Amino acid sequence: MAVTELRNVSKSFGSVRVIEPLDLTVENGEFMVIVGPSGCGKSTLLRMVAGLEIPSDGQILIDGTDVTGKEPSDRGVAMVFQTYALYPHMTVRENMAFGLEMAGMPKAERERQVLTAARTLQLEDYLDRKPRQLSGGQRQRVAIGRTIVRDPKVFLFDEPLSNLDAELRVQMRLEIAKLHRELGATMIYVTHDQVEAMTLATRIVVLRDGRIEQVGTPSELYADPDSTFVAGFIGSPRMNLVPAMVQGGDGAGHALVDVPSLGLKGYRAPLRDPHAALPGEAVFGVRPEDLIWTMEGETSDIALTCEIVEDLGSNVFLYNAASRDASIVAELPRGVHPAPGDTVRFRISDGTSYLFTEAGVRI
Amino acid sequence: MKRTLGWNLALAAGLGFFVALVGLPFWWVVSGSFKLPREIIARVPTMFPQSFTWQHYDKLLSSSDYGTYLVNSLFVSGLSAVLTLLLAIPAGYAFFRLEFRGRETWYRVILLAYAFPSIVVLIPLFTMFAKAGLVDTRLALIIVNVAFALPFAIWMLRSFFGSIPREIEEAARLDGGPPLTVLRRIMIPLTAPGIAAVAIFAFVTSWTEYVFASVMILSDAKRTIPVGFSGIIGQYQVDWGLLLAGASLAILPVVIVFALIGRWFVTGLTEGAVK
Repeated sequence: MAVTELRNVSKSFGSVRVIEPLDLTVENGEFMVIVGPSGCGKSTLLRMVAGLEIPSDGQILIDGTDVTGKEPSDRGVAMVFQTYALYPHMTVRENMAFGLEMAGMPKAERERQVLTAARTLQLEDYLDRKPRQLSGGQRQRVAIGRTIVRDPKVFLFDEPLSNLDAELRVQMRLEIAKLHRELGATMIYVTHDQVEAMTLATRIVVLRDGRIEQVGTPSELYADPDSTFVAGFIGSPRMNLVPAMVQGGDGAGHALVDVPSLGLKGYRAPLRDPHAALPGEAVFGVRPEDLIWTMEGETSDIALTCEIVEDLGSNVFLYNAASRDASIVAELPRGVHPAPGDTVRFRISDGTSYLFTEAGVRI
Repeated sequence: MKRTLGWNLALAAGLGFFVALVGLPFWWVVSGSFKLPREIIARVPTMFPQSFTWQHYDKLLSSSDYGTYLVNSLFVSGLSAVLTLLLAIPAGYAFFRLEFRGRETWYRVILLAYAFPSIVVLIPLFTMFAKAGLVDTRLALIIVNVAFALPFAIWMLRSFFGSIPREIEEAARLDGGPPLTVLRRIMIPLTAPGIAAVAIFAFVTSWTEYVFASVMILSDAKRTIPVGFSGIIGQYQVDWGLLLAGASLAILPVVIVFALIGRWFVTGLTEGAVK
C-alpha cells in the first residue's frame, strides 16, 4: 500500500509525444481508473509506473521513493496484463510462485502464500493445471493471483477484462472490486470501458491524447464534466451535445440559449461559473436520462420525432435520426413505445443541462 | 468440407508417390544390407529380400575401422551441435532482446558466412589451422562445423524468440527474473521446438560434412564416417553389401537423434499464455 506520484512525467517515442507532461497522485488504498479512447496513452502511463517504459522526463515516486530509473521488480508493483501473460509451461502453482522464488522466498513459505491466494480466488482445485487447461476467467484469476502473492505496494491492471466475454467480465469486475475492498491496496487500472471505470473507481482519470482531461470521483465526472470530451465519454448512451446560440445571461447564474436542433428558444441553461464571459456560439449538452418524457398537455421543452426505439428491457431509448452521430437520444419510461414518425415531448430535468464553449470547455 | 471418393483416391495416390519417393532409397539401402551378395547383384533386383545375413555388418565392424569412424563422427557432430546451441541461444536472444548499435546490420551480415562456398575458404582455413596446430584434430572439424551452423542457428532462434508474446517476458521482468534466469526458465522452454530444430540442423550438417573432414584430418584413426567410409569402398573394390551396411549404420544415429529430439516438436506450446 502506498502513495504513487507522477511528477511532470512525459513520454515520447521518437518524435511522437504520447504523454504530455502531467502530474498525478494516487492516494494510499485508492482504486484509480485511467480511462480514455484507444491511443490516448493510458497503457503507456501504466507501463511507466510498472517500469516497462522509462519516462522521457519527470519523476515517478512510490511511497516517497523515486523509482523512475528502477527495474520493474524493484518498485514493489505487480501487474495484470490484458493477455494474462501466464507462463504456459508452468502449472498454476508455479506461475504464482515464480515471482516469490525470484525474490528468494523459501519454498515452504512460497507454498503457503500461493495457497492463501488460491483460496481467495477459488483456484485451489486448479493449482496443478497448466494455463491451457483453464478457461479465460480462470486464467485471468491466475494472473491476478500472481500479483496478490507478491503483496505489492501498488497493483497495476492493463485492461484485464477486455479479453473476456460480457458475462464473465461483469463477474470478474465484481471480483476485482471485492479484492480491492478486502486487500485495501492501491490499485491503478487502465480501461477504455467507461462502465468498468464508473463501477470500480474511487477516482477516475480521463485521458485524451496524452493529456489529463479531468480527474474526479465517478459521480463528479458524471455530474460535473469539465469538457465535452468527458461529458461524452462518461455515461451511456452518451450525452447529447448540440450547437447552441447564447443570447445573454439572466444575471442569476444562467445563460439564455437557443438550441435549434432541440427547438429550444431562450432556454435558461445553468452556468458553472455565473460570472463567466459568455460566447455567442456554444455547445449545449443534456443526458438522455435527463430528458423527461411528458404526457399530452403537460409542459414540455422539446419535441422529438421518433426514428428508432431501442428497447433494452430495463431501459428504452428513443433516437430521432438513424445515425447515432446526428441523433438526439432520450430515455423513455418502461412501457412507452412510440412508433416511428411519432412526435414525443420531453422536459429537461431542472439544472441538468450543460453549456460548453465551441472548443469544448465547460462554461 | 466433404471430399468425394475420387478426390480421396487422388490424395492417397499423391501421398503414396511422395512417400515412395523419399522412402524407397532408404528401403533399398537398408533391405539390401541384409541380402546375400549374389542377391544384391542379381540381374532381377528383389524388392523384398529373399535371403538374410549379418555378414556385411560383421565384416564392416570387424575388418574395417568403421567403428572408429562412427565414434569420431558421433563425437564431432554431438559436440558441434551442443556448442552451436550454447553459442546460438544467447546470441539469438541478444539479437532479439538487446538494443545495440547496428543490430539489424549485424544480423544480416552474419548470413554472409553462407555467401562463400566452403571450398573457397578451405585453403586459407587450412593454413590458419596449421599455424594453430589444429590440423589433424577433431577439434578443427568441430570449430568449422560450429562456424558454419551458427549463423543460420542464430537466425532461426531469434525469430523463435520473437514469436513469444512480449507480455510473457514483461511479466517475468515484473516477477524479478534476471535476464539469464528469464532466458533459462521462461524463454528456452518456450522455444524448445526451435532449439530442437537447430540442434538437429547442426547435428546433421556436421554428420554429413565431407570437404573439411577430408582435408583437415590426416590420420585414419581420426576420420569421420563420410571420409572414412569412402576409403572403405576404394580399399576393397566395390563391395556392395559392405557399402549398404555402412550406409544403413550411418543413418541410424541421425534417426535416433530425430526420435529423441523430435518429441520437442510439439505445437501449441504457448497456448494458454495469452488470450
